Amino acid sequence: MVDGPEELSDRERAAVEAELRTLADDEFVVAERYTEWQVRGPTLEADIAIANIAQDELGHARLWYDLLEDFGYDQVDLIWERDPADFRHATLVELPFEDGDWADCVVRGYLYDTHEHLRLQALEDSAYAPIADRVGKVKGEETYHREHTQNWLERLAESRAGRERIQRAVDRLFPHALTLFERTDHEETIVDTDVRPEPLADLRAEWREVVSGFLAGLGVDVPVEDAAELLPDSRGRDGTHTEAWRSLYDEFTFTYRQLGRSEAPSLMPAPEEADVDV
Amino acid sequence: MSEDVSEFDGGTPEYCTYTDYEAGNTPDGLPATGDGATGVEAAVWERLYEVEDPEMPISAVDLGLIYGVTVEGSHATVTMTLTYTGCPARDYLREDVRRAAESADGVDTADVELVWSPEWNVEMVTDDGKADLREFGVSV
Repeated sequence: MVDGPEELSDRERAAVEAELRTLADDEFVVAERYTEWQVRGPTLEADIAIANIAQDELGHARLWYDLLEDFGYDQVDLIWERDPADFRHATLVELPFEDGDWADCVVRGYLYDTHEHLRLQALEDSAYAPIADRVGKVKGEETYHREHTQNWLERLAESRAGRERIQRAVDRLFPHALTLFERTDHEETIVDTDVRPEPLADLRAEWREVVSGFLAGLGVDVPVEDAAELLPDSRGRDGTHTEAWRSLYDEFTFTYRQLGRSEAPSLMPAPEEADVDV
Repeated sequence: MSEDVSEFDGGTPEYCTYTDYEAGNTPDGLPATGDGATGVEAAVWERLYEVEDPEMPISAVDLGLIYGVTVEGSHATVTMTLTYTGCPARDYLREDVRRAAESADGVDTADVELVWSPEWNVEMVTDDGKADLREFGVSV
């Protein structure tokens, strides 16, 4: 077990960082997209659920970014002034939703959360203790995300029109979901050093089995071709992104730039400046 | 539209039944309450009892958020967790706890270490805390 950054060799450090960046960026960007639905869901319950899921994913992003801060970065480096080409999230989470298509949001959530569940399971055995220590908490909060998307998929699939919407969303999103399992430059070290003992290729195989089985049960066809044939041109994990990424990035950094910020301000005054008795 | 759509009409609505709050187990040594603490550490615990959760009238200690207090020289370290990762009051609560620890007699500086393991669950609320929550209208 490795307890912190100071115990890592340069090679191990690069591996831990690479794993954390994909985890944190996925969570942060998927949450950014979810927030677009939080006042546009089909029911008030759906609005509340998606808002809550977005909040959870932001909470998880914060947990993983915290661990990157242990390496000496701050939030400005990690989000607000980071070169958009340095983000390592999968293209699945950056794509805009099809206009008004709730099935897009539900299918995306299902594909993403199923992946996250498997990845977290693999990280329970991480040799980097700060990651392993956080997995239980995150996993506990993910359970109802999966229940939420599965429940919606089952209801949508009850009608032909709904099933067709699911099918179109799966056709569109499945290749991008495969980028969740694309390797960073550090995959071999990540596995060799047990930062994540299970290789992405194995996780992908498990994921395909799970989602294909579930979706087939709903009467939805899932692509069976090899990943290499299905993958989109942009892979996310290597820094290449779809056109949608730049505008999303501009949007979520807009206020930061508009206010001329150079730091992420704290809402509370520093203790020495505050005239408050606890 | 297909004939299937009619399946949604006229049926009995099914409501979300997700109101099951899992109780969970209490890990050894938790909730930590400062019971048995002496000297400056006891003084820190006393101040921590005065830190209230921002959303409910319950002390951070009774809510089970504080996992430990150690004092070395005049520096206090408080180990704590939060009920959930997306807690919007994270900085607020953490700073309240830090200041409370720093205000104890014998402490000059304090820091707060946030941990996520063991995971907080409702069984970590102390009996006093449960009474406070019930009075507030939360069923625990």
